[in-house]
Amino acid sequence: MVFVLFIFLPWIFPLFGGYTHLATEVLIWSIFVLGFNLVLGYTGLPSFGHGAYFGVGAYVIGLVQFHLFRGLWIPLLMGTLAGGLAGAIVGIFLAKKRGIYFALLTIAFSQLSYFVAFRWDSVTGGEDGLTGIDRIPLQIPGLISVDLVDPLKFYFFVYVIFVVSTILIWMMVHSPFGRVLTAIKQNETRARCLGYNTALYKWAVFTLSGVFAGLAGSLNSLLINGAFYSSMHWAQSGNVVIMSLLGGGLTNFFGPILGAVVFIVLRDLISTITEHWMLIYGLLWVFILIFMPEGILGILTKKRVRMSLRGLVEKTQPVPEKQG
Amino acid sequence: MPSFAEWISQIANGLNLGLLYAMVALGLMLVLGVMEVLNFSHGVLITLGAYFALTIRAKVGYVPALILCPIFVGAVGLFLERVTIRRVYGQDPLFGLLITFGCAMSIEELIRMIWGRVGHTFPAPKLMAGPIDLGFMFYSKYRLFLALLAAFLIFLVWLFLEKTPYGSIIKAGVSDSEMVMALGKDLRRLRTYVFALGAILAGVAGVIAAPIWSIKSTVGNEFLMASFVVVVLGGIGSFWGTVIGGLLVGLSISISVMFLPRFSLIVPYILMAVVILIKPRGIMGEKSLLE
Repeated sequence: MVFVLFIFLPWIFPLFGGYTHLATEVLIWSIFVLGFNLVLGYTGLPSFGHGAYFGVGAYVIGLVQFHLFRGLWIPLLMGTLAGGLAGAIVGIFLAKKRGIYFALLTIAFSQLSYFVAFRWDSVTGGEDGLTGIDRIPLQIPGLISVDLVDPLKFYFFVYVIFVVSTILIWMMVHSPFGRVLTAIKQNETRARCLGYNTALYKWAVFTLSGVFAGLAGSLNSLLINGAFYSSMHWAQSGNVVIMSLLGGGLTNFFGPILGAVVFIVLRDLISTITEHWMLIYGLLWVFILIFMPEGILGILTKKRVRMSLRGLVEKTQPVPEKQG
Repeated sequence: MPSFAEWISQIANGLNLGLLYAMVALGLMLVLGVMEVLNFSHGVLITLGAYFALTIRAKVGYVPALILCPIFVGAVGLFLERVTIRRVYGQDPLFGLLITFGCAMSIEELIRMIWGRVGHTFPAPKLMAGPIDLGFMFYSKYRLFLALLAAFLIFLVWLFLEKTPYGSIIKAGVSDSEMVMALGKDLRRLRTYVFALGAILAGVAGVIAAPIWSIKSTVGNEFLMASFVVVVLGGIGSFWGTVIGGLLVGLSISISVMFLPRFSLIVPYILMAVVILIKPRGIMGEKSLLE
């Protein structure tokens, strides 16, 4: 149903005063948030630094296009893999952590990437960003050539990638791998005692979500024809979390997609009314967390988030006595 | 190679910055330990301290502002705790982080609405402007004052934690808050006080940092991010870990600025990564419920 609905998005959005660009943005963020939700919703790990992997993908596609290979697929693939590689490296530090400590480290590493993007201007363009990333036509030699500069054609290009990604993530969640992730969320110690190498699973899921973040970042560079350091800012990482929660990512597979749609449309509408979007945005956060942590889909399906979150912290674990 | 004099002055600057970071990070660490909330609004409270100082100093002068601003920021902290953070206690630790993040966003925008988007300068008070002759070198009077005040406040926090009954309860709360509750201590009130204490420290930091960093709506965020690193580096729940972490971050920035001026802000993060590879809980961190 979601897939069918999204085919018509470029025609639905103008009804609310939107445009194709916005619809493409929704798709890109949906990929990002779905991948992110593997970590947050399914494994119960509070990552607050996913903007970094989005940003890595965004820069790498541009750099590959400029310096290595001018094409569509190879830069896109490299950007995607770069996001995964960055996730894999940071994942090494995170694999044995959880809870607030996990969050703290993800923030610190995303801030590191932010500084690197900002200061290493010979490569990243620093404050000006990396501009002039082109949408190179999609070609199968002798058969077809699709000019992706056209917004609508580009939308459908992203749409196909979105569908494939969603199916992949769906399969992952419903595979034995996905069940181990859920087991880790519910009780990591128990999963470990059952013989699963939980650290390895956590590392793997973090890397995978990095891959999807990298993919989304690369696509976004194609959409806006550039890569900017602001995409690595922690506010960006916050956006992913709120989209996931808003739609109901903790309770429903499709929550993140709904969250992305509602968030992006809302942001677009509110910023046409007032320039103080940040104020409303902050209040929205507080409201969601206090009154509807289960998200929109969670409320509709009447699932309680407290239940699904219980497993995140093991409060019953004994703590060794502290000296001094 | 930088000259000897450069080394001395950069080390002095690093200690200076480090003490300030340590003071800010102590507030963050205590809130994190006792409330299990990673307080994202800590940065905006610092900014608020600076802007309060801007307004209050214009009315009543520097010294009253230095005393009044932290109190006002503490009051804002109390309000935040009452209205928002209190509602997510006992839930997933992510919620505390997110709700303070939301508060930070809103307050930052409010600051821009009230005081405008342009930055303000905030000169040091006349008495402390200019350099002082320390015998072997000249050093900014104001930075010396900043370091002494930060060190004094860190000392006060230490006294409070080590020598008062409240301190023992807080330390116990850092290690196991449920046990503290089970022993009949009023954890709700304790949390409120700790949050207010953190906010007051943030407020002081905002006021005393203003002459050096000047005042803009994002000034506190730099301190917030630095104090995250300090807490990871030093270890959650450790007073001395946080102080050492703060000094290390300050020194690593100020020393690396002589060699790699563009990348000096990145150095603390690399230091952090190296430390947690060797000691996963930070320099003085111990096992706690937060993991």
